[in-house]
Formats: sequence, C-alpha cells, structure tokens
Amino acid sequence: MSRALWTALALVGAVLVETGLAHLVASPGRYLDPFLLVAVYCALNFGETHGMLAGAAAGWVQDVIFGGRVLGLSALAKLVVGFSVGLAAGRFLIATTAARALIVLLAVVADALLLQWLASVFSVEVRGLPPLALVARATLSALVGGVLYALVDQRVARSRL
Amino acid sequence: MAQAGSAWRSRFLLVGLILAHLTAISHQVDGGTGVSLLQRGVLSVLSPLQRGVGASASLTSELWRGWTFHRETYADNRKLREQVRTLETELQLRSYRAQESVRLRELLALQQAVPLDTLAAQVVARDGVPWFRTLMLDKGESDGVRLDAAVISATGVVGRVFAVGPSAARVQVLLDRDSGAAALVERSRVSGVVSGQVSAAEMGGEDLALKYIPERADIVVGDLVVTSGLDRIFPKGLVIGRVRFVGEVRGLFRDVRVEPSARFSRLEEVLVVRGAQKPLETPRSVE
Repeated sequence: MSRALWTALALVGAVLVETGLAHLVASPGRYLDPFLLVAVYCALNFGETHGMLAGAAAGWVQDVIFGGRVLGLSALAKLVVGFSVGLAAGRFLIATTAARALIVLLAVVADALLLQWLASVFSVEVRGLPPLALVARATLSALVGGVLYALVDQRVARSRL
Repeated sequence: MAQAGSAWRSRFLLVGLILAHLTAISHQVDGGTGVSLLQRGVLSVLSPLQRGVGASASLTSELWRGWTFHRETYADNRKLREQVRTLETELQLRSYRAQESVRLRELLALQQAVPLDTLAAQVVARDGVPWFRTLMLDKGESDGVRLDAAVISATGVVGRVFAVGPSAARVQVLLDRDSGAAALVERSRVSGVVSGQVSAAEMGGEDLALKYIPERADIVVGDLVVTSGLDRIFPKGLVIGRVRFVGEVRGLFRDVRVEPSARFSRLEEVLVVRGAQKPLETPRSVE
C-alpha cells in the first residue's frame, strides 16, 4: 500500500481519535493534536516533501472538521512544521523514541506559535493558549507520539520480517 | 545530483503550497470592509491598473469625442463660412444696388434739372492706357451719341466724347492734359480755359488748370467755375469746380488751379448731351 494511502488512513484515525476525545473531555485540542502526530511521523519517516504534504492534508482535515471560520491556518502551520521536521530528519539522526518525542514536543509548540502568528497576521480571532497549557499539550503529544511511533515502527518492522 | 534536484523540488513545492495557503486564507478573511483580504490584495494590485485602463479609456473617449466635435465644428465652420461669403456677396450686391439707386436718382434729378436732351450712359471702362484720362461709355451712335458731345455727371462736367462707335463711346475727361473747356468764374465772370495739368495728370493728380486768367482778374480761392459755352461743346452754366489755388503770375497769366466737382475716380453713370446746346440760366448740378 502506498504512503499516501497509509497517510490517509492515519488521518482518518486522527479524526476518530479527536472525535472520541471530544466525548471524553471538553476541548480535546487543548491536550492532544493527533493530526500533528500524523504529520510529524510522515516527515520523520518519509522526508520533507511527504511531511509537508501530510501536514497540509492533516491541517485541512482538522480545519474542515474541527476548525473555525477561516480554513487553512492549521494546514499552513502544519505544512511548514511538516517540512521543517522532514528537513531536520534528513540532516540529523532522529531514531530514538526520546528524540522523536522531543521533535513532537517542539513541533507542537512550533505549530501552536505559528498558528497564532498567522491568525494575528490575518486578523483572525482565535482562542489563546496559555503557555502552561501549551507546554502540557506539547508534553502529552510528545509522550503519546513517542509511544505511538514506537508501536507503529515495531509493527512495520514485524510486517517486513 | 538527484538528491539536490529533489531538495529544490521540495522547496519549490513548499513555496508554492505556502502561497496557495496564504491565498486560500486571504480569500476567506474579511478585511473589515466587506471584502476578503485576497480580494483587497487583488484589488490593491489591480486597481492602479484598472485606474490606468480607465483613464486611458476615458482619455481615448475624450479624444474621440473631441475629434468628432472638432470634425463637426470644422464642417459647421466651413458651412458657416460659405454662408458668410454668400451673405457678404448679397450684402455687397444690395449695397451696390443702393448706391447705384442713389447715383441714378441724382442723375435723374440732373437730367430733369438741365434743359438739355441728355442720354444716361454707364461707364464700362476707364483709363485704358496710362497716358490718357478717358472713359468708355456703353452708349454709342445708335443711341444718339455724337462726336464732341458733352458728358456731365450729377456733380459736374466730366468731359467730351472724342470717339464714337455704334454702341459705345469714348470720353476724354477734363483731367486729360489735352482736354479743354471754355470756363468762367461764376462770381466775377472772368473767362478762361480749363484743362488737365501736365504734371498733375502724370502724377495722378486731379486738379484742373484754369488758363488764360489775367493778372488783375478778380478771382479768389473758393470761386465757382462753370462752363462758358464759348467752345460750343459744353452748354453754358455747367459746374466745373471751385478755385483751390491762386498763384503767382507766370508770363502774362496767373496760375490758377481748380478742384473739379466731378468725382472722376468714382464715375459710374453719366449723362451725354444729345440735343442742341442752350445756355443755362444758372449753374446746374444736383449738389
């Protein structure tokens, strides 16, 4: 199965996770960003081009299903983050779970800051995310991402064997 | 090499995607004026162009309107000029007719005033050669014009017929240096001969010389000079002119100059005396 299809399936999964979380907690986006996890994973494993395309696709899905009045802000932010992570993955050895978790953490922060900056540039009203909440979200995403990436990598490695 | 190409491709794709996203977002964002940022951006880029195009279009339109207006104005102007020319010609014709009417009335008045058989004639040419002061009349032998007939105008004596054809006659005017008319001063009855002056005629002057006036003759500037009838050409009593200059004695006679009453340069109609000459009781002219 092609990468694009896997990515699409991952995005569907992200939608399901986000939807499920919405039934458990109020404002699940404040704690976890499953779409960013998909984009970062694609960027880490398949490079900057796939990473930015996956980021853009994830952002658009997120914007369309869970976004506000203006669509495309998350898509643009995730596009840039996906490219940057892919670029970094091509330059540095990011193979361990901890390194990947750190990347997810940085990606979540970068994504949030970028989105807020874009929102201010386009004069779009967005709900502010306090620094502490941002750190909590980044940390939780990094933990979930680290674990999730490890599980997926194990599964992929087993399937190749 | 392929890796570098792929890197460049991904960068181009990134830039393209960023631009596409910015465009998409701008399209949705209201700029606060009811139009999206994209529309505002596009408008801000296009509006100068549109203004330029609009200005060019309006300029072209203005130029075209100006050109058509100019063309219409030019045509109107040409038409109006032609009308003005036509009207000027008509006006000149009317003015000419009015003047002619006045002249003819004067001539008729003279014709009725003088007890002579006269014939009205029109001046059709004058001064055919520069050495002579002559007129051509449109009446000739068939009309009763005879050689040496006196020719007079409403204002005074003009001259005499010196050549006559079947339907035209030539008149030697008094200004001609070879002309002559027996004259007398109306107040003092001093006699003399009026003729054109050699020097004045050559210079185009219109003064007559009153010759053979004795030194002691009673003559002063302003005296009226009339025909005496002694030459048997001009009937007695027709006005010739007024003394304008009484000079020194030259030889036996005094130098006297007369300003003719007839307006030689503006003669158009004259009377030709046909019948027998009878002396006039008083000098005759309509003036």
